[in-house]
Amino acid sequence: MKTKVLMAILAAVIAGLIAVPWIASYFYVFIFTEILILGLFAASFNLIFGYTGMLSFGHAAFFGIGAYAMALILIHLEWPFLVSLLVSMGASALLALVIGFLSVRLNEVYFAMLTLAFGMMVFAIAYQWRSVTNGSDGLAGFTLGSFGLGLDLTLANPSVYYHVVLGIVAIASIVLYLICRSSFGMTLKAIRQNPERVSFAGLNVRTYRLVAFVIGGTFAGLTGGLIAPFLRVASPELLHWSMSAEPILMAILGGTGYFLGPFIGAAAFVLLETVITTYTQAWMLVLGIILAVMVIFFRKGLLGTVIDWWMEVKK
Amino acid sequence: MKNVSIKNFLVAMTAAATLGTAGTSYAEDPIRIGGMYILSGSAATYGEFAQRGIDLAVGEINSSGGILGRQVEMIYEDTQGKASVAIQAARKLAYSEGVDALVGLDSSGVAQGLVPTIPALQKPLIITHAATPDVTGNLCNAFTYRISVNVAQNMKAAALVASETDATNWTTIGPDYAFGHQSWEFFGNYLKDIKPDVNLMSETNFPRFGAEDFTPFIDRVMDSDAEGVLISVWGGDLVNFIRQANNRGFFEKDLEVMFTVGAATEVLTALGDEMPEGVHLSTRYWYEAYDNDMNARFVKAYLDAYGNPPSYNAQGAYAAIYAYKQAMEAAGTTDGPAVAKALSGMTMESQNGTVTFRKGDNQAMVSPNWGVSGPMHPEHGIRTLTNLQIFDGEEVARTIEETGCKL
Repeated sequence: MKTKVLMAILAAVIAGLIAVPWIASYFYVFIFTEILILGLFAASFNLIFGYTGMLSFGHAAFFGIGAYAMALILIHLEWPFLVSLLVSMGASALLALVIGFLSVRLNEVYFAMLTLAFGMMVFAIAYQWRSVTNGSDGLAGFTLGSFGLGLDLTLANPSVYYHVVLGIVAIASIVLYLICRSSFGMTLKAIRQNPERVSFAGLNVRTYRLVAFVIGGTFAGLTGGLIAPFLRVASPELLHWSMSAEPILMAILGGTGYFLGPFIGAAAFVLLETVITTYTQAWMLVLGIILAVMVIFFRKGLLGTVIDWWMEVKK
Repeated sequence: MKNVSIKNFLVAMTAAATLGTAGTSYAEDPIRIGGMYILSGSAATYGEFAQRGIDLAVGEINSSGGILGRQVEMIYEDTQGKASVAIQAARKLAYSEGVDALVGLDSSGVAQGLVPTIPALQKPLIITHAATPDVTGNLCNAFTYRISVNVAQNMKAAALVASETDATNWTTIGPDYAFGHQSWEFFGNYLKDIKPDVNLMSETNFPRFGAEDFTPFIDRVMDSDAEGVLISVWGGDLVNFIRQANNRGFFEKDLEVMFTVGAATEVLTALGDEMPEGVHLSTRYWYEAYDNDMNARFVKAYLDAYGNPPSYNAQGAYAAIYAYKQAMEAAGTTDGPAVAKALSGMTMESQNGTVTFRKGDNQAMVSPNWGVSGPMHPEHGIRTLTNLQIFDGEEVARTIEETGCKL
């Protein structure tokens, strides 16, 4: 019964998401586009953090490289959108392989520091290399061409772009979910709980961690490829360490123990930011208070807390 | 159980629908204009001065019957000096707040990012400060106008000033983004044209925008062979820069120092007599440079209201509101495309004289002002400008072909 209700809620949410451009103003189309992209970004991070137990502080590197790849292609090559997205994913996969290869051998704070250092290295390159990246101003002024697959979609129309993002995020989420549910995903969870034991079982923990890191990075590159046409600019801020902190905050806010937690966290994050910045510039202060309360009292995040309550009270 | 979820769903839908209609506007509502400025951080005084200018214009217009019989209402958003923030802000203003027109932009980097997205919003934008030539050049579009001087105009004037000095070796200190780099590029090209024997040094200095410490860059220029230095640092950064340069004895060296936006009254007010005498200062508008009724009225109203003289940013923002008044009344509507069309080629009276938005690139033909810092003003508490030169806006502008704008 409960599963059925949860499924009904999920179906209603999906129906609501599809209907956003018809029932809400343009402004909310933008808000929900951002939520979907950042939600998948946070979910890709959660594969590394929530599932495998590695706290990466450099996840924005893959997000940003995806955005820059997309912007560079749209400016110089004008390839179809889907092809450009694949290049974004390829670029971030390659970068994740290099950074991951050098980082996953370390644990805990050393891993966090190393990913932070690599992330800031990528940021510095984007910031300094003016001739290619246009320095601190970032790449802007690109136009959206065709979608690919022979489909005639006007990507510049925000509603169309929203539905494109919704479709791509939905497919990517299902793929990511299947990865998490597979025996590979189970092994990752085991590594988080007890890496020594997994190692004694004869599995190469480092390889598993590297693969998880690359998968997470690749999906982050996909979201970067989606954000550039949405923001209409690929700027170094997308690569900054503060951007790496956002999926951490979203995952914790929503709940790292659930696949949909980071999506809920991203929604809460973006909606809170929108509402709070209307009243005060001190949005980070309010966020800090909310996070402190979450971490101290509701360690399972918004989604985890609600599900726990549901299971307890409504027996 | 099922009822619960349906009820929740309906509540959510109702909430979404209510939120969705919140931005709708009606004919007899006030005309809403969205302002996008830097309202936080080291350049926040620019946003504040722009707001002051706009408040004066809106107050005057509303007390004399409004525009098309409707009152004018402003809604502001903070761009934080970031393009991505400004793009979201513009969408929020256009789609959620339902504004009829947009004004603003303090930063060239922000302008480069935002301007290509403006046609999709179908609302006119008048840029009142950001100076990158690109937005009335290769990035130009039918909805974007600029009422303030751009980098190309100001650097042509700067090169003319520089060519009169004895300095041969020139370098620059500028913020590390579009504005700093483009200022140096245009200045160098124009100066080389006018005076081919100048040497544009390869050692240039581009501190990060918002950097607190400029002393390494100051020291580097003092240790070099430079005889002239073009400084395009601006805002709170410029205030910090000049204080640190004073401490290092930078202005005692035998250097031709040119500040491309040094006569911003925001900066002069903050510095008082810490601004050295005898340096070249430029501004997009100097409040004592123009002798006309509108300027006299504006300067007096500004001084009465705020106690210090108006800056170019206040002037541009003030003039932009009047530009919309004229364009909306000419178009007879507040409809975005119609107002944008009315602005094209429009001639208006502004504080700096008769100003035309040039048809080919939508850049207003306004005059850069250059002068040399003189004694303190007895009443206004800022440096005066001596040897004031008012360059003709059209003469220092690029030709339409040079802009790369195709409208």
